[in-house]
Parts: sequence; C-alpha cells; structure tokens
Amino acid sequence: MANVSVAAEWQLLYNRYYRKPELYPMRWKHVDLARHKVAAAPFGGPVAVIRDDSKIVQLHAESALRKLRLFNSAGHPLADAVWRHPGGRLIGMSWTDDLTLVCVVQDGTIYRYDLHAQLVEPNISMGKECFEQNVADCVFWGNGVVCITEQNQLFCIPDFRNPKPVPLADPMIEEPPRCIAVIEPQYTMSGNVEVLLGVADDPVVLVVEEDGVQRLGEGLLRGPLQKMVVSRDGKWLASFTHDGRLLVTTSDLTGIIIERECESSLPPEQIAWCGMDAVLLYWDDMLLMMGPDGDPVHYFYDEPIILIPECDGVRILSNTSMEFLQRVPDSTVSIFTIGSTSPAALLYDALDHFDRRSAKADENLRLIKPSLPEAVEACVDASGHEFDVSRQRTLLRAASYGQAFCSNFQRDRIQEMCKILRVLNAVRSPEIGIPLSIQQYKLLSPSVLIGRLINAHRHLLALRISEYLGMNQEVVIMHWACSKITASLSIPDATLLDILLDKLKLCKGISYAAVAAHADKNGRRKLAAMLVDHEPRSSKQVPLLLSIGEEDTALMKATESGDIDLVYLVLFHIWQKRQSLEFFGTIQARPLARDLFITYARCYKHEYLKDFFLSTGQLQDVAFLLWKESWEFVKNPMASKGSPLHGPRIKLIEKAQSLFAETKEHVFESKAAEEHAKLLRIQHELEVTTKQAIFVDSSISDTIRTCIVLGNHRAAMRVKTEFKVSEKRWYWLKVFALATIKDWVALEKFSKEKRPPIGYRPFVEACIEADEKAEAIKYIPKLADPRERAESYARIGLVKEAADAASQAKDGELLGRLKLTFAQNAAASSIFDTLRDRLSFPGAS
Amino acid sequence: MAQIPNLDNAPINLISIREQSQKELINILKNIRGKKCLVIDPKLGDSLSLIIQTSLLKEHGVELRHLSADHIQTDCTKVVYLVRSQPNLMRHICSNIHHDESKGLQREYHVYFVPRRTVVCEKVLEEEKLHNMVTIGEYPLYIVPMDEDVLSFELDLAYKECQVDGDTSSLWHIAKAIHKLEFSFGVIPNLRAKGKASVRVADILNRMQAEEPVNSSDMVMPEINTLILLDREVDMVTPLCSQLTYEGLLDEFLNIKNGSIELDASIMGLQQEGEKTKVPLNSTDKLFKEIRDLNFEVVVQILRQKATSMKQDYTEMTTTSQSVSELKDFVKKLNSLPEITRHINLAQHLTTFTSKPSFLGQLDMEHTIVESQSYDICFDYIEELIHKQEPLTTVLRLLILFSVTNSGLPKKHFDYLRRELLHSYGFEHITTLNNLEKAGLFKKQESRSNWLTIKRALQLVVEDTDTANPNDISYVFSGYAPLSIRLIQHAIRSGWRPVEEILKLLPGPHLETKRGAFSNSPSFDSLSGVSTGIAKVPDGRRALVLVVFVGGVTFAEISALRFLCSQEGMAYDLIIATTKIVNGQTLVETFMEKLG
Repeated sequence: MANVSVAAEWQLLYNRYYRKPELYPMRWKHVDLARHKVAAAPFGGPVAVIRDDSKIVQLHAESALRKLRLFNSAGHPLADAVWRHPGGRLIGMSWTDDLTLVCVVQDGTIYRYDLHAQLVEPNISMGKECFEQNVADCVFWGNGVVCITEQNQLFCIPDFRNPKPVPLADPMIEEPPRCIAVIEPQYTMSGNVEVLLGVADDPVVLVVEEDGVQRLGEGLLRGPLQKMVVSRDGKWLASFTHDGRLLVTTSDLTGIIIERECESSLPPEQIAWCGMDAVLLYWDDMLLMMGPDGDPVHYFYDEPIILIPECDGVRILSNTSMEFLQRVPDSTVSIFTIGSTSPAALLYDALDHFDRRSAKADENLRLIKPSLPEAVEACVDASGHEFDVSRQRTLLRAASYGQAFCSNFQRDRIQEMCKILRVLNAVRSPEIGIPLSIQQYKLLSPSVLIGRLINAHRHLLALRISEYLGMNQEVVIMHWACSKITASLSIPDATLLDILLDKLKLCKGISYAAVAAHADKNGRRKLAAMLVDHEPRSSKQVPLLLSIGEEDTALMKATESGDIDLVYLVLFHIWQKRQSLEFFGTIQARPLARDLFITYARCYKHEYLKDFFLSTGQLQDVAFLLWKESWEFVKNPMASKGSPLHGPRIKLIEKAQSLFAETKEHVFESKAAEEHAKLLRIQHELEVTTKQAIFVDSSISDTIRTCIVLGNHRAAMRVKTEFKVSEKRWYWLKVFALATIKDWVALEKFSKEKRPPIGYRPFVEACIEADEKAEAIKYIPKLADPRERAESYARIGLVKEAADAASQAKDGELLGRLKLTFAQNAAASSIFDTLRDRLSFPGAS
Repeated sequence: MAQIPNLDNAPINLISIREQSQKELINILKNIRGKKCLVIDPKLGDSLSLIIQTSLLKEHGVELRHLSADHIQTDCTKVVYLVRSQPNLMRHICSNIHHDESKGLQREYHVYFVPRRTVVCEKVLEEEKLHNMVTIGEYPLYIVPMDEDVLSFELDLAYKECQVDGDTSSLWHIAKAIHKLEFSFGVIPNLRAKGKASVRVADILNRMQAEEPVNSSDMVMPEINTLILLDREVDMVTPLCSQLTYEGLLDEFLNIKNGSIELDASIMGLQQEGEKTKVPLNSTDKLFKEIRDLNFEVVVQILRQKATSMKQDYTEMTTTSQSVSELKDFVKKLNSLPEITRHINLAQHLTTFTSKPSFLGQLDMEHTIVESQSYDICFDYIEELIHKQEPLTTVLRLLILFSVTNSGLPKKHFDYLRRELLHSYGFEHITTLNNLEKAGLFKKQESRSNWLTIKRALQLVVEDTDTANPNDISYVFSGYAPLSIRLIQHAIRSGWRPVEEILKLLPGPHLETKRGAFSNSPSFDSLSGVSTGIAKVPDGRRALVLVVFVGGVTFAEISALRFLCSQEGMAYDLIIATTKIVNGQTLVETFMEKLG
C-alpha cells in the first residue's frame, strides 16, 4: 500500500522520524564539488561555484582561468563570470540576505556580485590591517562577515548595507584558532556580533566582541574544541571535542545539554544543525545524524556533499542531486506511519476506498466521525509539507473528501493551502529552482520571495504571484520596466516607450518619474523625457525634467501645476544655469515665472532686477526702483537731515523722472517725480532758513500747514504757488492750520479776505473741532445750505437754532435725526416733535 | 471664556481638524527634547491662538518668543522657529543666527515652515550660508477653524499677491486645504466657481485629485455636497461698504482679530484703569450667537429689552414671594447676566462711533455711490476728504468704491485725484496708487460701467428694508444686498445657468462641474440635481455647501449667508472658508505700501 511505501523511506532517530526526499537531480554538468569552493544561499537560494585555488586540481579540458558560476538550486545555470581579481586567494564567499554574493580575498578586499554575476561596485575593503596581515579565514552570517588575519586579529562588517569594517578586540592568541563561529547580532545581549574562537591547547572558548574578550567554558570543557556551530536562534552551540565527542551546550557555555561519543576522533569536515533537534556531522563519505538520545543515523555518500542549513532542516547538495533532510512533520507521521490508526490516517484510507468504490470508505468515515475536523486539518497540513505534487493532491483530496462530511470546518483552510502550494510549486519548478518548504516560505514572506524573483528577472512569475496573492504589483512592474530599459539598448525610444507604457498602465499610481529617472541614468534622455510626460504628479515630474535638462518643459509643467514652489525650483535652476540675458528671455515669455522672479528679486536682488527691467525695456519699473532707493537714503543713518546727501537723493529721483518720461504712459509719474524733487529742495531750504529739521519728507500739504503754524505765511504762499495748489485745498489747509494754533483773529481776517471758494464750512468745522462755540457761531449763519446750518447748530448744542434751520430746510428726515441726537433732552425733543408735526412730512418717522 | 471657539455644533467635524493640528504641533515639540525656545512669527502666533492654548505649549518645555529682527534672549540652547514660509521672515532668522554666531553662542536651530518648506525660503538660508546649521521641518497647518461655520486659510495678503504681484501661491494653498478636507469628508461632487482665481483653484484642485486621489470608494456619501468658489475680485463693492451688522460694526471700529477684540478695560466696566482687556467673540457666547448677525439698530433694541425684562424679574423677586421653580428660572437667567452686561457695554461703546456725523456722512456717501446716480456729489465729497487730509484708508476706501462702480474714472479726474493724494499724503504713496491701479481698483476708465445693469438685474438695492424682521439679505447693509451673496444665493438655488448673462458682466470666467465618482454624469444634471436628489442626506441633516471666498470675506457677508441658511425652505447648511476675514480697511491696507 501507498502508506507503507511512504514511511519506508523514513529513518528513526530517537523517537522522531526523518526523511530525505530528493528535490532535484542536479542539471549541471562537470561540477565536482571536491574541486570547488561553494556558496549556497538558504531559503532555496542560488549556488555559487568557483574552482578552489587552495587545492591542487587537475585541469581537464578547461581554461586555466577560473570562472565564477552561478546556478539555481536545481543546478540550472544562471550566469557566470571570469574571475580575474587580484588580491590573492579567495578565502570565503557567501550570499547575503538580499542575495548578493560576497567574496573575501586574501588582502581583505570584498568583491560583490549580483545574481547575474555582475560585479557590484564599489568593492569593499576590510581595512589597512587586513591588507597588511592577510585574511586567513572568515565566517559569514546573514548580512555580515568576520575575518581573522594571519596575525589573529579580528575585523567585522556588521552589515553589508553599510559596509564599514569594525575592528574587534584582540583575542591575544599566538596560534590560529581551531574553529570559529559567530552569534548573530540579533541574538546577542549587546546587539553586536560575538565571535566564538576554539583555541588550540586551551579548554576554553574565547568570545570576542568589539570591546572585550571573555573566556567561556572553563571547567566545562576538557580540551580544545575542533569544530563548532551555533544553532539558528543563537541559543545552542554544537561542538566537536578533541577526543571525538559531540557536545551540545548553551551558547554561553554554562551547561552541557548532550554529550555523545562519535565513531571517529578526527574532526568532521562539516557540522550543521538540522532544525533545532539534531546535529549533522560529515566526514568523507559518511554523514552522521545525532539526536538527543538513541542511535545516530548514518547516511553514506560516495561523492562529496555540502550541507546547507535551513530553518526546518538541511539541504544536502552533491554533484548529482539536491536533497532535503528534514524531520517528518507530525501530521505526516500521523497519516503515514506504518499501522497508524489516527483519524487522519483513516480519512486518507477512506479516500482510497472511495476511489476504488469500496464501501469501506463509509465505514472508515463513521469510525472517525467525532474527530473528522482534526483529520481534515492534518491532511491539509501534511499536504503543505509535501514536495511531491501528486501526493499534495491526494492529501488535499482526502481533506476535501472529509470536509464534505463535517459541518464545522473552516472552509477557506483548504483554499488557502491550495493557494500557497500553487505558489510553492511554481517556484519549485527546476527552471526557477527555489525549493522552499512551507515553513521557509512563511518565514521568508511572500513579498521577499517576489523580491527575489524579480531580482532573478523572473518578472512574469513575480507578477502572476503578486496578482494571485492580491499584492501590490507596483514593485514588480517598476523593476521590470527598469530592467527592460537596461536590457533594451537596441530598441528605439518610441518602440520601447510603447512596450513600457503597455505594462506600466497595469498599475495605477505607479511612478513614471522613477522609471524615467532610470532611463536617464542609462543614457536614454529622450526616452526619459517621453516617460516623464506620463507622470501625473508634478512634484515628481518637474525635478526629473530638470535633471534631464528639459528646463523649458519643466517650467511649463510647473506653471500648469499651480504649485508656486515648483515654479521657483525651476526658476532658480535656470537662473543658475543660464546666462543672464538668456535667463531674462526665458522668464519674460512666462508671466508667472517672471512675476515670481520679480517678487523674489525685489527683496533680495535689487540690482539684478534693474538689469532685468532694462533688458526687457520696462524703464518705468527701473524708475520705480530708483525712486524707492531714494528713500533708502533716509533710512541710512549717515544721511542726516540737511546734509549734502540730499544731493544724491534728489539726483536719483530726477533720474527716475527722466526714465518715466521715456514712455508716454507715464507722464503722470514723471510729473510726480519732478514735483517730489522740487519739494525736497524747497523743504531743504526751509530747514536751513528756519533751522528746524521738520520739513523733509512731509507732504506738500503738511509743508504748507507747518509754514502757517510757524507763522511763515510767505513761505506757505510760495509752496502754494510752486505746486499750483488749488484754492479749495488752500482754504482747508490754512483754516485748519490757523485753528491748530488757535489764531482766531487771523482766521476771521482770512474769512474776510474774499468770499471763500468753498463757502464757510471749513471755518465752521475747524471751530467746532477745536471746541470753540463762540467762534463757530460767527460762521454758521454764513453757511448757504440750511441743512448744514441746522446740523452745525446741533453739533454745538444749540437746539432752538438747529430746529429753526431744519424747518427752513423743510427736511423731516433731518428733524427726526436731530431729535435722536437730543434724545436725552426732553425739552429739546419736544421742540422737534412740534416742528415735525407742523411740517407733517410723509414718510418721516 | 476661552478664545478658542467651541466647535461642537459644527456641521462637519471641525474638532478633529483642530485636534489634528494640535497634535502635529505637540509632536514637533516633543521630538525636540528638553527645554527649547519657540520663536513664532507674530501673525502665525495669532492664528495659532485659535488652535492651541499657550499653557499647553509651556507644558512641553517651551519658552515663547515672537520673531523680529531683534535677537532672541533666552537661556535655551535649542531654538525652534515656527514661521510661515515667507522669504522676508527668513531675514529675521538669519540676523538672529548671525547675532548668536558673533556672540559665540552655540545653539541648535530648527526651522519649521507653515504649511510647508519652500524653495525660496531655503534659497535665502542657503545664500546666507545657514542651511547647514538649521534642521528644517514642516508644520502643515492649512486651515484654522474660526468658528463652527467659518474656516480661515490665514492668508492675509492673498488678494494683493494675486492681483498685484502675480504670485498665486495662495491659490495652491487653498486647493491643498480643500483637498485635505476632502480626505476627511469625501470628494465634493459639485463645484461652482466664479472669477479667474476661483477657476484656477478648481483646476488645481482637480489636478490634485488626479495626482493623489481621495479614495472615495470606502465613503458612501461625501459629507460636503457642493463647493462654491468666489473671487473677491468679482465683488469689490461689498467689502468697501461699512458693515452694519453687530459683528461687522465691531470689526469696523474695534478690529476683531482672531475671534476677539482688545479694548480698554474701563469700557467693559472693569476697574483696572488704563489696562487692556480681551473679549472673545464666537458662538460659544450664546447671546453673541443670537445677535451677531443682526443689524446693529435691532441689537440695541434687543439688548434694551433683555435688560428691562431682567430688571422686571429682579423687582418681582424682591417684592413678591416666589416658588422654588420660579427661583430656579430666575437664577438661570442671572447666569446670562455677564453676557448681557458684556454686550451692553460693547454696544454702548459702538454707539459713540456710529453716532458721529462723519460716520453718518460716510454711510450716506457709500449709499450714494452704490446707487450710482450722482457722480459729481461723490467726486466732490472725496475731493474734500483729501483736502481735509482725512485718514488715507478712509479716503481710499471710498475712492475705490467709487472707481469700481464706475469701472474707473475719466483720465482727467483720475490724474487730478492722484495728484491731490500725493500732494496731501506724500509722494511715498505712489506705490500704493500703482498697486491699486495694477489691481484694477483705482484706474482710468476704459469702458462704460455695467454696475447699474448688475445692480438692477440682481436687485442689489432694496427699498424699504425692514432691519428688524428682514426678508432679504439686504438688511446687513440697511438696503444694499451684497453682490457676492446674491451670486451665491443663485448658485445654491439653481446653479450658474439662469444668471449666466449677468456673470458675463462680472470679471473672470465661471465654471460649473461635477467631480469624483459623479463626474461621468452629463453636466446637464448638475442643474437639476441641486433642487432634487442629492440635496437631502438620508439621516435628515441638510446637505452641506462649502463657500470659499478667494481674497477674503467680511463679517456682514458671513451674516448674510447665515441668514440665507436660516430661511425656511433652504435645503442646505453652509460652511464658509476664506483666505482671511477682512473689512474695507484691512483690505485697503494690504495694498498700501510706502516707499521708504
């Protein structure tokens, strides 16, 4: 029966079963692991192979030049590159978490390669000491490396994303260590890497950190360690002792968990953890698996193998095959153990009967009825752990068969598992060659898997998977577009654009600007320009247009967007890049840019602004600037009043005036500037003659007032005639000025000089404002309009007179208003009432 | 009472907007550890007073200073500048830092730009070689809720910058602010705009939606139904008229700043002689909420009634025996006493201004100008104001009103008045005149004015306005119905189509579209859709219209909108957003620029 054959391949270690299915027969040819250095990445990653230059090997029909060859886990070639690097022997190589191959050579240089065997620039150096002392050995972990020099100094790069070598403390040892292991930074207390050294002739382990060395295991160890390896979670240390024992201790070497004799006292070539509960030791042609108890399991190989530790097992790579050694999951055990009567086994059996149309199917089902959900769950779970597609299918069919008879099973469990398996099977196909187990897949996460696929240029699969899993496709399409551009040097821009757009439009909100930037980096400026045109976000589009030198388009797009900040960005860019005249020409054609330039320059680049206006022929604007500058003299403390500095100030204004005069439209401004200059001269003179610095920068009207207040009527008259001040204004100014100094006699005299051109109102108002009723009464009767008379009387509180004047005016509304003004005064309001009644105006309220 | 308004009754969740802004600011402060000196540019500080209490800032180890050219005196080694992203403010920061350098002070500088960092500002820092010394951050404050139905973008200079300098940064800011609202409340499906700037805002807003779409699928119904954008340029008449509502008058005479006024304590009946006191004015004050939008005449009457009834109740209390429940009612009424006293004091103070003959004369003249009948009387009046050297803003206000209603003045008069202005107030005002001319506010007449046609067609002047029981928005100006609000009234009721002919007479293009998920339906629907379907939101609330004034709005106009809202048969709630709350004076002042 099928069940039997499945379990027959299992080995029992202590109380657990292990299995070692073959994932792939290796597709590569002529690869002998014995002659090569090999680096294989975890999570079903790629394998890098290069001829080992520390061994003497016979060259068959091959070049003497070494070649770095990259394969996927199925031995399918990915890429290769000839190794011509100087720097001595290759000490070690390994894949980082983001699948960059790092190769450390003797002089401490680290060369990096991507998945396509392209060298990643720049090379990293481990530093001067490594260069001088030569690297003797190195140990890698996820994203870091520790190197030990021939003088036993340690250096590490904690993170390749930020490759800076850090020296570790000096372990003070004479001889090279027997073995090295590291505890990854994420599992140490300090957060820095800890290096464990097994030293010769000393029964301790040295723990080297950045700031110190500790000795661990004193009293615990009976001799030096030959080989060691730290478990995946950094908690346990498996080591091989000098006397042929396997020792499992805590990683701080405080307690021994397991101690077992091995059959050999020679140290094994490789040692690795298989999951968390078994350790593998490999000697030439024998692989020994040790568990916590019970007999070890032996596997024999007649060819060299490489152990690749995974989170849930170990992949075993040999010249001909890739195997996966893992503990058989519990669900699988419950179904397939020989003689199992677990509900899951019976359910699986029931399906078999059902397929053969045997009534026993029903019998089985009835037997397990109460625990059917667990049985279904076990089948679903077991299917997930299978690499064999037909067995996955059978298990899922069993689950689905069982599910039909149980009402309370989570229905989407099966569907979910199918989804995962479809993805897993897709990436496990030999062409892709990523043999992820379900546990690895979950740990790796789908988005990282997609990242790895696009890195390997498997865009279509990545796209399908992300679509299938409902993930954002932007990353995939973006990467595809960039790779496409890099790879399509021979395709003309327009054709390539169509190809790209066709795919880019699949994803809403994708950044066209980013793709365009890539195109530009690849020297395809025209394509970049075409692409960036499709970018809807101006804030991304405009800076890119600038970087590819499309300033005019950038200016246009920025203007369209309405985002002033972008316009300024372009403006400053062009300003810096172009000659003044060319710059002026560019912005003159764009009103918004021009206005913004003027606004900015007005504050900070006055002289430059003048150049601009001159170049564009806006003479009046230059004039305004000059005129404005003339006031700067006032602010300047050096320009004390009455000093000769008035000369330059007036000259500036006159220059402004002549510029205004250049255009017909600015006659008014020209006149005004002329008058201003004249005024300043007169004011200057006045200050000299009166010895009072109170004239400069007051207005013409104020100058006249000041003159009158000072009693200098001749000067006032002179200003009046010089500036052709109208009689109207003159009267207001003089009346108010006289009222200010309370020269009522002069005021009266002035009123009688001739009939005032605007009547007597200024006199009345000036007196009322000065609160001189007696004076006001002199002029009120002379007011021509009875309404004005009434209001004026009212303002100085003469009720009777006000009422009389109002009735003369025959204005009911006015009466009403006056009444309101006198609201508090009962006698007064009655006067208005009687008057209004007498008039009885309609509409008066 | 707090100056920060209570927003509980807002038609949309404005509290969350304010809390978000609070949180962002606190986070900025938290991220800079230890004691720090927070230097705020004063105008921004004013806006922030509506967002966050100073005490809350102090809790985060902040020493507060105002930004000025003078150097900062503080013991803190960390200085945090919080400034609007205006290049001229960079000057102050630079001189501050240079001063510290010259004194050998080692300090850590952070500059947070509101609402975002800009190339221009960084350019200034760069030219002063300071950009490596400061850490730059952003504080994305785009909207400040002024009251439960009023939002401000706090862009004082927006109108001037657009019209005179051609700097349209404010339009992007407005679009961004609306877009931010859309992220909270859904894409606004209907849009109407009038005026060049408004149409541009609509355009930028649509671009933003295309670039960074609001995910509308998870929102069943957008909370805001219609967006109406209106340029100040379309109606420059209204803001120049003296506002006659209570709140409007308070603003005209006492200058409401960020929802409060500052006046002598003695006016408020407080003892501290000579000291200033701050009176918050927002809808948290129940009485103020009741009377703020009424014509001032009516307010005086209402206050009198309230006082009298209070007095009566008090007399009854003391003379007759009362039941416990009557006592309770009385005490409840007593609680409103401080509010009544406050507003009686304010109203009394206002009357000292409103009863002045000069004010009455000005009102009279405004009406004459709006009526647009007697050109000569208006011209003479303004000429006389200039001759008497009345305050320049007062003169310009009338002059602009005069020029706008006549679409400019004949060249002879234009030049004459300009000359008289320069003679009376000084030649430094040439720039102000130049600004006004560029903005088209005071200019040479080039075409016949169509103000009369507009006035007649939209019934802007209403005879016999009953200010006590108004039936039209004209009550806010005692007989003049603000043009801006008339337009909005039409926009809400029936869309632009019926008034298209009149819109063409006003400056700038107009636009009416559907947006978001609704954009595919034919535009014809937009008209009928308003009066039917979407107007009602299922839960019985009224649909919401966001009215945005690009270039400022006056309190009187806000009052008029609230009045519209309160009318029976009105299917919408309104929420008002503006670049800044303005009045004639503050608006004119933005254009004033002295040389020197």
